[in-house]
Amino acid sequence: MSTATMHARLPILPVALAGLVISVAIVLYNLINQGHAAYGTDNLGMFWTFPIVVYDYFLLTSTGLAMVATLALVFGGDDFRPIIKRALWLALAGLAGGVAVLMLELGKPIQALWLIPFSFAFDSPLYWKVLCVLGYVLALLWLFSRLSRTGWSMASVRGMALLTLVLALGVTVIAGVVYGSQSMRPFWASGDIPVAFLFESLLGGLAFIIFFTYMAYGFKQDGLPASVNRLFSDKLPSLLALAIFLHMLFVLARMTSGLYGNAEGLQVWQHIVASPLFHLELWVGLVTPLVLLLLPTTRRIGSVQILAALLVMISLFIARYEYIIGGQLVPLFKGAWAPALLSYSPSPTEWMLLHPPCP
Amino acid sequence: MAKWGMVIDLDKCTGCQACTTACAMENNRLPGENWQDVLFYHEGTYPNVNLMWFPRPCFHCENPSCVSVCPTKATYKEPEGGFVLIDWNKCIGCKYCQVACPYGVRFFTDEKAVVQPDIRGVFPGTDRQWDPPYKGPQDDPSRGIGIQPHGVVSKCTFCHHKVSKAPKGVADLDEDIPELKEYVPACVRVCAPKARFFGDLDNPESHVNKLIADQRGVRLKDETGNKPQVYYLSGGAAAAVPSLRSMTDKT
Repeated sequence: MSTATMHARLPILPVALAGLVISVAIVLYNLINQGHAAYGTDNLGMFWTFPIVVYDYFLLTSTGLAMVATLALVFGGDDFRPIIKRALWLALAGLAGGVAVLMLELGKPIQALWLIPFSFAFDSPLYWKVLCVLGYVLALLWLFSRLSRTGWSMASVRGMALLTLVLALGVTVIAGVVYGSQSMRPFWASGDIPVAFLFESLLGGLAFIIFFTYMAYGFKQDGLPASVNRLFSDKLPSLLALAIFLHMLFVLARMTSGLYGNAEGLQVWQHIVASPLFHLELWVGLVTPLVLLLLPTTRRIGSVQILAALLVMISLFIARYEYIIGGQLVPLFKGAWAPALLSYSPSPTEWMLLHPPCP
Repeated sequence: MAKWGMVIDLDKCTGCQACTTACAMENNRLPGENWQDVLFYHEGTYPNVNLMWFPRPCFHCENPSCVSVCPTKATYKEPEGGFVLIDWNKCIGCKYCQVACPYGVRFFTDEKAVVQPDIRGVFPGTDRQWDPPYKGPQDDPSRGIGIQPHGVVSKCTFCHHKVSKAPKGVADLDEDIPELKEYVPACVRVCAPKARFFGDLDNPESHVNKLIADQRGVRLKDETGNKPQVYYLSGGAAAAVPSLRSMTDKT
């Protein structure tokens, strides 16, 4: 059954587009009438909130998808050929949605388009991040357009894929540096954050490609073409399990050192570990899919793979939320003498922002 | 070239908030969005509780993290005077500087008003955040002076519009010297207990340098590497510098 046929049966795209239009209209209306007060941000310490969570989540997912596609192209993973183009398309779509959300968060989004690239602010991680994202978008478009033509071979696009891979790695690492370099925020600051971001990104890419490939075929394993089915019955679930394991190691390592650490700001870990959200992220979002994918009896079942991918996607979103918000819960200055944490919950307008990248 | 700095004597500060009020009037601040603030807090548990306070302007750091993280060079350090300023024409409101400032001295324009009702609704602005009936004569968006436009970050300027006009080579700007009082930052000029001093940190003859040397002036959160140009004096009789509390000499 073709993708077009499945879309005819499942009106996902029209529903998603209608939701997109409605949610963007609500966000714009609230922003025009309330300014940034429509978001849950404030001047007391919550500067980067849900919009940045959504943006970073989809940015890292995009680079993860690009990694999946380009690693296969660079290292000759012919088995991955059936999902490469879809992974690149999803990487473009996710990035576009994420950047759109960022634009709705910036104070002057239009001016940012020329002020950042021509500022030559070499000391700023954000400057390098924007440059890398620009290169990454161009490389993605170039590679995708090349793969959209017939008659390409792995060897003929290897150079392009390598460039895209390097830029995807660059974007991901610099995204980690943006947070990891903030020595005044011990919850964020760590040399291993860029590496953790790499694994998180790759895990997101794998989960998204599994979920959306199944979606394209009506969430039915029987509908998968033979080449896709072969990949999904063998290498992909094993890779997903490995990526979950590696990501979980980083989560547990940071949690452990955070709980034992005495620096101002690390007390957020006690707050996080005591919250149900963290346990949803860890036990439901990581341990459960890992177990399901390790058991030989369940690993190859389509519905199990879909469930595992979905749980991982949710878990990664919670992880991103807890990392970005958690780093700001202890107000930097006030925190020197006030043990209380700031409170934050996303506003209705902020929840609306989750929709734009989803289609 | 001068490097302006401030010394705040915590033993003399009474927490009267005259500095906060003067700053708000001088710089057309919104209620509650205080570039200069006195933060109150308490220490200990009942019945052994101390009410304490801490005056906090922008520290105009020597090595400011807000400058290095800015992706558009909107936040910059002016070589003449050592002011850390914001060019509102370049600021895109990404708020990375707010995230990176260890002292929480920066404000994004369009957040929910700290004090309700929102006075911006009473005096709405068009291209600026609000349009109060009294506006300071100074307006320099390239230095973050005046009423800020929408979508940018603002902060204390060390009253650049006054200090930068001071006679060259002067060691201290003291409100008690009649010919210099117009150049003194608003928060320093109104300080009734004279807890604030403003002068050239690069001039060995300045009174601020003598105070720092004689009374062991300390900088807040020096471990972050920002190297503030604001020093605190605390002899132990009154409020201590919060981040250095754990380093109290017990001998």
